[in-house]
Amino acid sequence: MLTLTVNGQSRDVDVPEDMPLLWVLRDHLNLVGTKYGCGVAQCGVCTVHVGGKPVRSCQLTVGDVGTRAVVTIEGIGGTPNGAKVQQAWMEIAVPQCGYCQAGQIMSATALLDTNPQPDDADIDAAMAGNLCRCGTYIRIRRAIKNAAAKSA
Amino acid sequence: MKRVIGILVAIIVVAALGFAGWLYLGRNPLAFAGGATVALADYHDGTVAGVPAELASADPVKRGEYLIHAADCQACHTAPGGAPFAGGFAFNMPFGTIYSTNITPDKETGIGNYSDAQFLAAVHRGIRADGQKLYPAMPYASYTYMTDADALAIKAYLFTLAPVSAPPKQNQLSWPFSQRSLITLWNVAFNPDERFRPNASQSPQWNRGAYLAEAMGHCGECHTPRNLAYGLDNHGKFAGALTAGWRAYNITGDKVSGIGDWSDDDLYSYLSTGHANGHGGAAGPMGEAADDSLSYLVPDDTHALVAYLRSIPAHASDLPRTITTAAPASYKEGAAADANIRGEKIFAGACASCHDWTGVSPVTGFATLTGVRAVNDPSATNVAQTVINGVSRKTADGRIFMPAFGEGYSDDDIAAVANYVTGRFGAKGAHLTAKDVAALREQAAQQSKEAPNG
Repeated sequence: MLTLTVNGQSRDVDVPEDMPLLWVLRDHLNLVGTKYGCGVAQCGVCTVHVGGKPVRSCQLTVGDVGTRAVVTIEGIGGTPNGAKVQQAWMEIAVPQCGYCQAGQIMSATALLDTNPQPDDADIDAAMAGNLCRCGTYIRIRRAIKNAAAKSA
Repeated sequence: MKRVIGILVAIIVVAALGFAGWLYLGRNPLAFAGGATVALADYHDGTVAGVPAELASADPVKRGEYLIHAADCQACHTAPGGAPFAGGFAFNMPFGTIYSTNITPDKETGIGNYSDAQFLAAVHRGIRADGQKLYPAMPYASYTYMTDADALAIKAYLFTLAPVSAPPKQNQLSWPFSQRSLITLWNVAFNPDERFRPNASQSPQWNRGAYLAEAMGHCGECHTPRNLAYGLDNHGKFAGALTAGWRAYNITGDKVSGIGDWSDDDLYSYLSTGHANGHGGAAGPMGEAADDSLSYLVPDDTHALVAYLRSIPAHASDLPRTITTAAPASYKEGAAADANIRGEKIFAGACASCHDWTGVSPVTGFATLTGVRAVNDPSATNVAQTVINGVSRKTADGRIFMPAFGEGYSDDDIAAVANYVTGRFGAKGAHLTAKDVAALREQAAQQSKEAPNG
């Protein structure tokens, strides 16, 4: 039995230590907002925060999480930057199909946590690992800047 | 005038003999230890050959299974994706390609008809049952130190396997390397054809480690540089060499370029699992050595290997001291900040999510780049190979996985990202070109075709 801190709550899960965190979140904790994409950390849709850093949950085994706090798309609205990012996303309707957007929002929030006023190059460097097949990159970049303006 | 020519000829002859003697002296992998050696039968201080105490009363096949792991026969005698021990693994050499042979007990295409004496001749002297010479890609100049009993235990194990019909693949060698008879000369020069002799001035643990490293594990076949005739040059014993497109690193006690700064625990961890925290993990051929061989050794044997490695004289090679501090958290700062935009872009998209801009992975310690020798190797050979081939290993500490990027990225891209990674996280950035990467792909062609494609 492992104990995880997910979105501020302590959760016990009875799973093997080598199970990817994504499986635990979706299949055992019913937190299905985080999506499965490529399965090899190449697309970014499964991004969650672990100890405040954006991490591809398909590659992180649950045994390696340890005591680090996990935050998912379901909980990110409870953080100041997460709330601003989600608000900015809605204001300009960033998503098209939406499948990658949970991961986009998690990476964008992590960016603002470390860099409150990112320029275009900062955004590209932080978001490069999050693919969007619909090509919403222009709106993603604008929404991040709008969210940063709210922080100011 | 005649006298002058005579003197000149004498000088040339002496120099040639001296050079030949120097090469000859370089063939003994144990000469560095000095001291008096004794025949194994006359050594009574401890068990040097054979299986460890845990397996002393096991049946011969179980003992053979332990020893075949220790000698790591499987890695070379198995083609990627092929049946174990059925051969067909390609060695891509500068002068052509040699394929390993089928050593399952198939009577037509394997070794099913080998007598004990024929098997010993192959293992100790590189002579096939039909009298033909084996190429020294088969490390018989190392296995020659193996006892008859251990070699025959390995044979007993092999003969319990299901025979696999796998005809030998034709070697593709250029002249004169295609002439097997020339190997006779090579053998005279470089195969000592003698069994392991314990060193009475060293501890029993050292002797066990020496037997495991030299007669069984044949570490020097990759880690010791070769002379012009492709014999091992033990003047630079374990000082590192390029083998099959991967760099086998300096494992002497040199503190800068070798493993002198590693603790015994680090070495133990690396040998037993193929990973040591702070030093990174094995990939490529060393990953195979860890998975197919070293991870099967009992703790006492691994400790003996550590003790033996510790005794190898330090030998400085051209590698810089490993950087052990993390890179800055922002992509804007750090050594490779402005120099290599293409490499930085690829790193951002394909690498940063697991390896982080600092090099300290937020995902798993297996993916941390800080302190890893490959990243601190200015040739970037193993970084490029790892990017091309990925890593897929199962260890006692968990699965180690990195996607193979060789199919999806161009030679230019791989060169750029390898240069970026060595510049940002290592001591000195590499200057690989697309041509270099193409050559690396060629030398390790086998792995890149067969590795799982992310």
